[in-house]
Amino acid sequence: MKDNIICVKGVSYEYTDADNKKQVLENFNLEIERGSFTVIIGHNGSGKSTLAKLLNGLYKPTKGDITVDGLSTLDTKNEFEIRRRVGLVFQNPDNQIVASVVEDDVAFGPENLGVEPAEIRTRVDEALKSVGMYDHRFESPHQLSGGQKQRVAIAGIIAMSPECIVLDEPTAMLDPKGRQEVMETLLRLNKELGITVVLITHFMEEAENANRAVVMNDGAIVLDDEPKKVFGEIVFLKKIGLAVPQTSELLYRLKQAGLNVSTDGISVEECAAQIAATLK
Amino acid sequence: MLDNITFGQFIDTHSVLHRLDPRIKIILLIAIIVFIFLAGNFISLGLIAVFCIALLINSKIPLKMYLKNLKVILPIVIFTAIINTFYVSTGTVLLDWWIFKITTDGIMRAVFMSSRVVLLILISSALTYTTTPNDLTDAIERLLSPLKLIGLGNLVHMLAMMITIALRFIPTLLEETGKIMNAQKARGASFTEGKLTEKIRALIPILVPLLISSIRRAYELAEAMECRCYNGGEGRTRMKQLRLRKNDFCAISICVLVCTATIILNIFF
Amino acid sequence: MSILEVMDLSYSYSGGLPSPTAAISNINLKIEQGEIIGIIGHTGSGKSTLVQHLNGLLTPTSGKVLFEGQDIWEKGTKIKKIREKVGLVFQYPEYQLFEETAAQDIAFGPKNMGITGDELTGRVMSAARAVGLRDELLDASPFDLSGGEKRRVAIAGVLAMNPKVLIFDEPTAGLDPIGRENILKIVKDCRDNNGATVIMVSHSMDDIALIADRILVMNKGSVFMFDTVHNVFSNSEKLMEIGLNVPNITKVFVELKKQGITFPDSVYTMDDAVKAILSYANGREK
Repeated sequence: MKDNIICVKGVSYEYTDADNKKQVLENFNLEIERGSFTVIIGHNGSGKSTLAKLLNGLYKPTKGDITVDGLSTLDTKNEFEIRRRVGLVFQNPDNQIVASVVEDDVAFGPENLGVEPAEIRTRVDEALKSVGMYDHRFESPHQLSGGQKQRVAIAGIIAMSPECIVLDEPTAMLDPKGRQEVMETLLRLNKELGITVVLITHFMEEAENANRAVVMNDGAIVLDDEPKKVFGEIVFLKKIGLAVPQTSELLYRLKQAGLNVSTDGISVEECAAQIAATLK
Repeated sequence: MLDNITFGQFIDTHSVLHRLDPRIKIILLIAIIVFIFLAGNFISLGLIAVFCIALLINSKIPLKMYLKNLKVILPIVIFTAIINTFYVSTGTVLLDWWIFKITTDGIMRAVFMSSRVVLLILISSALTYTTTPNDLTDAIERLLSPLKLIGLGNLVHMLAMMITIALRFIPTLLEETGKIMNAQKARGASFTEGKLTEKIRALIPILVPLLISSIRRAYELAEAMECRCYNGGEGRTRMKQLRLRKNDFCAISICVLVCTATIILNIFF
Repeated sequence: MSILEVMDLSYSYSGGLPSPTAAISNINLKIEQGEIIGIIGHTGSGKSTLVQHLNGLLTPTSGKVLFEGQDIWEKGTKIKKIREKVGLVFQYPEYQLFEETAAQDIAFGPKNMGITGDELTGRVMSAARAVGLRDELLDASPFDLSGGEKRRVAIAGVLAMNPKVLIFDEPTAGLDPIGRENILKIVKDCRDNNGATVIMVSHSMDDIALIADRILVMNKGSVFMFDTVHNVFSNSEKLMEIGLNVPNITKVFVELKKQGITFPDSVYTMDDAVKAILSYANGREK
């Protein structure tokens, strides 16, 4: 039996916008295994941002139920416990930093939880070290790069000692360097601290090192498998408007042309190795 | 560039004054201001002036920074001096022309009153130069915490949170204003030409986007704060605890000494 | 005569600091009519500072910017006229929208140029068409549109000024793959359909490889390379040395080279890659 931290059961979500009812999710099911690194991929409007806010109870499902460690998000009693366990990081790094000193901002979450001052100090230092921002702890957020700000936001969640971090397009507004910093940080947190990561994105490459890739389209899951397998579905992915990693596409097209390669290689090294093997 | 604007007036010179507890700094500032006005003669005011100057030297802040602040209130100092010169008509008459009459006592009083204003500004500057806006906000929140007893605790917390967020977002919004201005300039907008009404109208393309983006930021920030279990001031702890140290007690003692001396000098001279 | 020429351009921020920091130094460039130039470099490499000089938003500390051979800061040159001819679309341009309707917002630029009446309507309509905005969206409030539509309105606002040179600063930032593709097509059409000279700043080598004729690589405030797409990609290893992200396709070929499999030409598009590998495989069979 799998140890699932989050269970989404038969969830529908609709909201009213200018008198129009909009159905974002319908009868949606998803389970997130503890300690896993799951990437949820979909283009804008596929319902993935709504899903993120449902996972920590910021939004409540219209139908169905979501449980975190068995606690239902529908029960307002559980509100804080769920938000502590499932931290949410948003797209715009600027709009989630509250204080004008990095370490004060990281302390914000544990302060809200009423943690003892000495304990907050330890947690803040640990959290900043875990995202590689300890040396910047006295700086002001507006002097940091996008990638650094986003890592401060992640540290702010880590300091609440969560079980799981959900990130809603955390790299969309970053430059390639910032994107890489954030991805490396997430992988490290997952491996070293065992934190469950749910990364919502439209950059397919970001699923390269994940355990699982879930593809969403029109509010429903259309693919759910190991990243290698998911990337193999090139024709389908392109049809629903997602950009396949170039490496996967290259291997796929070579295979179509009759070369003896497998479409399993996502990283540049794997892809080159596949090609080299057939060419040598 | 906008990046280099410092907020508040804080200048870090690592002086003794910088390291004092901000709460103590605020209380002592209030005490000194009270005694500046209690000082009834030149000798007692002189003592306070010497004390204030000693503090300024201790702050290691360049003199010109203090003079900069004085320059701003120079009109008020001059105004105070003039009003007081004519307020007093006793003493040796130096000038008597039409309704104006300048006397030695009048001049003495003018010097006395404007010295008070100058001291007031210098000593307040010493506080803002040596304390970050964050520490100030924090100290004010803590000093006002007795208001919890009469049920105003959340109000104080909200006020402090608002100042904290404002301090955090002022640089962000300034930067954004610069970007929007440039974008509109690139579309041929001009902010310097034309009559006053045209100049005011020219601000609309800046203010509307700025307002909309601020509202968007406010929404997103509120959600992010909720996700981090924010629920007002109740049950909240603070990482940074303010604790009184030896220096703080020294500062209090010196201040008490100076204030007592002021009263004694007031009585005997 | 080049449409834009930059001579010994330097710019430093003083910002009240004792020693001014150089944002860009000694830049020399010539950009020809009808080209598409891609500019790439790290954040802080001076890309944005450079493009803001091209339409006179920043005044050079030293050096010159020539538009059609004329110094834009020479006495008698109206900088407002230069800004009409050299249009600049900023990063996240949707944050500059302010009017009641999309059409009014698009009209802001041309109206500032003194255009009125039928010509104004005509310009708004053709700009809207160029960015693929449906007519019924023109009367909607720009704030009710979707993110991608807002960006297209903002781009149309600059296109409506009919500039001879169009500069786009990170036009695809924050968009999903479909949005990216749409915007890149609009950028390319500015040249293909309207004959404008196009300069696009981007973090994405993929985007630049798709549409540019020449690439300007900026590093630490100076020109690192300025050459045809083909020649720049032939030096992929150099780009990777300064930490720039080259397309993964190119990385695969660099990796293959390390393993002793070399290809005659530099490869940076998918079609070329497939062709190159297949012909290598065929050659070996024979």
